[in-house]
Amino acid sequence: MFGKLDWSAIPLSQPLPLITSFVLILIVIGLLILITVKKWWPYLWHEWITSVDHKRIGVMYCLLGVLMLIRGFADAIMMRTQQAAAINAAGYLTPEHYNQIFTAHGTIMILFGAMPLVLGFMNYLVPLQLGVRDVAFPTFNSVGFWLTASGALLVNVSLFIGEFARTGWLPYPPLSETAYTPGVGVDYYLWAVQISGIGTLITGINIVTTILKMRCPGMSYLRMPVFCWTALASCLLIVATFPILTAALAMLTLDRYVDWNYFTNTAGGNPMMFVNLVWAWGHPEVYILVLPAFGIFSEIFSTFSGKPLFGYRSMVAATLFICIVSMLVWLHHFFTMGAGAAVNTFFGISSSIIAVGTGVKIYNWIFTMYGGRVRFEVPMLWSLGFIFTFIIGGLTGVLLAVPPADFLTHNSMFLVAHFHNVIVGGVVFAVFAGLEYWFPKVFGFELHRAWGKAAFWFAFVGFWVTFAPLYVLGLLGMTRRLQHINIPEWGPWLYVSVAGVGILILGVISQVMQLVVSIRDRHKLRDVTGDPWDGRSLEWATPSPPPFFNFAVMPNVEGEEAYWGIKLRAVETQQLAPEPRYEPIEMPLHSGVGFFTAFFTSVFGFAMVWHIWWLASLALVLAIAGFVVFAWRDKHEFEVPVEEVARVDRARRLAREAALARLSEQGALP
Amino acid sequence: MSTSESDSRLPGDVMDEMEDHAPGDEPPEEGSHWVRNANYGLGFSILLTVSAFLLAGSNIIYEPAIPVALIVLAIAQMGVHLVFFLHITTGPDNTNNVLALAFGVLVVFVVVIGSVWIMSHLHENMSPMEQLMEMQP
Amino acid sequence: MSFRGLPASLEAIRRVREDPHRLGHRAHAPGEPIEGAGHGTTGPASKRILVGYGFWIFLLSDIVIFSCFFAAFAVQKHATAGGPTMSDLVEIDRLAWQTAALLLSSYMCMLGFAATQVRNRLWTQVFLAITGLLGLAFLLLEIQEFVDLAERGFTPQRSGMLTAFFGLVGLHGLHVAVGGLWLATMMAQVQVKGFRREIVHRLICFNLFWHALDIVWIGIFTIVYLIPSRP
Repeated sequence: MFGKLDWSAIPLSQPLPLITSFVLILIVIGLLILITVKKWWPYLWHEWITSVDHKRIGVMYCLLGVLMLIRGFADAIMMRTQQAAAINAAGYLTPEHYNQIFTAHGTIMILFGAMPLVLGFMNYLVPLQLGVRDVAFPTFNSVGFWLTASGALLVNVSLFIGEFARTGWLPYPPLSETAYTPGVGVDYYLWAVQISGIGTLITGINIVTTILKMRCPGMSYLRMPVFCWTALASCLLIVATFPILTAALAMLTLDRYVDWNYFTNTAGGNPMMFVNLVWAWGHPEVYILVLPAFGIFSEIFSTFSGKPLFGYRSMVAATLFICIVSMLVWLHHFFTMGAGAAVNTFFGISSSIIAVGTGVKIYNWIFTMYGGRVRFEVPMLWSLGFIFTFIIGGLTGVLLAVPPADFLTHNSMFLVAHFHNVIVGGVVFAVFAGLEYWFPKVFGFELHRAWGKAAFWFAFVGFWVTFAPLYVLGLLGMTRRLQHINIPEWGPWLYVSVAGVGILILGVISQVMQLVVSIRDRHKLRDVTGDPWDGRSLEWATPSPPPFFNFAVMPNVEGEEAYWGIKLRAVETQQLAPEPRYEPIEMPLHSGVGFFTAFFTSVFGFAMVWHIWWLASLALVLAIAGFVVFAWRDKHEFEVPVEEVARVDRARRLAREAALARLSEQGALP
Repeated sequence: MSTSESDSRLPGDVMDEMEDHAPGDEPPEEGSHWVRNANYGLGFSILLTVSAFLLAGSNIIYEPAIPVALIVLAIAQMGVHLVFFLHITTGPDNTNNVLALAFGVLVVFVVVIGSVWIMSHLHENMSPMEQLMEMQP
Repeated sequence: MSFRGLPASLEAIRRVREDPHRLGHRAHAPGEPIEGAGHGTTGPASKRILVGYGFWIFLLSDIVIFSCFFAAFAVQKHATAGGPTMSDLVEIDRLAWQTAALLLSSYMCMLGFAATQVRNRLWTQVFLAITGLLGLAFLLLEIQEFVDLAERGFTPQRSGMLTAFFGLVGLHGLHVAVGGLWLATMMAQVQVKGFRREIVHRLICFNLFWHALDIVWIGIFTIVYLIPSRP
């Protein structure tokens, strides 16, 4: 009746997951009670859960990402402290538990932390920067988000019902085959990642279509902000390579569930094919993460240098170059698997060549600053920290790209240090830079500067203190994923690394403090005009937060840096452009299809993990039925009356006129 | 906010000559245009498919060249489908479609050829098969 | 919080005006509209275009999944583990019937779309129905093939080659089955709602899907059946 599920699935004998689950469940129940008591359900349901507004969905993606980053960070704390404690000792985590922790750490950080954050940024910003009202398929967007959340839910459920995979974040066979992992851990992983993979693919298709087919009048390709170009490249990679992951995991699922022979050790299976396919996805995946990060930095560098981005065309070319070449390097993740000199050489060369694209970008950012008036606001600090950190991380990457060197450093702590160097230095720093930069736009008030600077410095110093020792350890011969250390010489380095983790914790606390203080002081910190940083792209033309229809009238773009030209003209003529002719606007209706589909899909995933076939079939049918029911609706748009449009826009114009008036009073206008 | 405002295109079936077209899609014309395409497509497809089947079962051409010929015929058949059924053309209204298709073909090529190349080379540094068989218990 | 918006830009105007070294700007004169379709300068495309193009992108992602299964087949083609080889599996007659059924169904689908373009409900339904029946014939033949193979002991659990074979061909069959269910839903929607905008958009998507399946089948019958059929 319940498949493999019985009471032994609850980890009563393991205090850590048990206590964590207990606390988490209490928090969730507490939240639900709070929402009910305060009668927030109608608001939450109408405005967030069933919203198809790209801005709301973007915020929810980022919220999911931040929460999962915290969980991933908790896993990291456990790993570093276990290694420091287990030098010729047992430590406090059993090998079985430790293996689940490093698997969960990688899976969560990449797929449920970084990916949702990057998707969230792209969802929020792309329509605003293109001067349009939403993405191409708003309702689908909601489905995509909720499926991603569904995957995250499954991963977290594994904490208190059953166990997670112990294979590392990429479940290599034959370890991940039924013969060697008969438990449910790998199954949780497979369904969680597959389900959220569908969500990611939906966003990829959405953004590609939006960027290629939905731009405001006058915005040709070469007038788009660079963030949109990087979003395009990233989403093209999503569309091109996520199917590879889907296929590889589907094959592993078939092997596990119906005894097929894709990757088995016997009967003609080939475990190395999994490694090949999964890295054909895995390498583009890191570029999917880092390209929008580069886009965020491009926006920040130009805004806080007070100059247009240097070398726009070469930036675009470098982005597309990286997009294509990133699909030609994947073997560098398994040089040691034995494909021989010819194959290794090809991929070694391609892996070195791809550094050129990033190099071009870094020079462009530096030249953007040159000759400009640099303002050291918090987003700019993160960007400068990124330049320093990422260059070093990239250099160690090029070192690893040389096959003979890689034979010594593959799967050592050197590798661990390298990829954290580029992912933290690249993606995480970009996320925090972007959160600081766009927070006023999204929520209507600015963030407290001093706490933001503290958070940056703790993070920057903490990162280097944590990970620099790992480079040394790698060269001293320490391999990754060790639960037990029996070489005392490694001890001092591990202790320094734990100290670094402590500094990072201070950074997290500072970040939380910044949020708390800013929310407390939000009326003092209110962003009145919508343009607190003197921005250059179209999202800064809207009020903060933007109205749900983004633009009362779609802008007509006449050059690069669409908003900058509008602003200059207003300042020179000392007045805004004449009031446009307002028209009613058609916007999509909210819809529960995303939530319902994801709900039944979560049940489906859970049932499949535990082999509860009747429940899985039922849930699948209901998920599809929900879709068909939704497709049957007659009304899917509503009209915003022209009075409403005019009212919102006139308020915006008033705020801008007031700002202009203030400037002329200060004698600042020419 | 802007010197000359404009608003979104009103949704509807109104299609501009200057607009892009999705694959297999065009302004509503008389049905005969579509039927003609379909007939040409079917005709060419039948020709190519029958040739492939006949070729596979015969010895008309040089033996090792038959797989190559079959692949060429397959590519031709796919081309017929793309042009006549999916209406992929080289016009400016189809540029995005052609580019997307080219990108897709590139990915397929890289994945299939790359995988085959890598996986077949994994025998590189292994003992030859005969030695392995001799080592079996 | 002091207002620190526009003043910096005024500084920029006073000192810099445009980028003084002309480093970041394009050669196009501002205000010069770029003519021609495909540059997107005429504003967002219509919903019809968006839906069609979005589905086209989705189809390309689907083709990539198939390419992985093709790659697996190419790698495991000879991993027979002492079991049957491909030439033991191939039956040209059934293959020919399957190919004919799918090709004709693609043709009928086209004719159905022609009927949709002239908004003829009867003929749209007729051709859609024929498309569905031909697709069903294809599926029944495939199921018959799988059952025959199973009876001879040629199951996916037997060897890597059989796994890869059943995986690739089965994935295609699964797509055809899902397409059939979609087709039935579309016919119901056309019947109840007529040729409303969204219905026509979904028919465009269905057409793309069905033709793409035939394209994949061309790859399958050539690479999986015809080429390995020669010993």
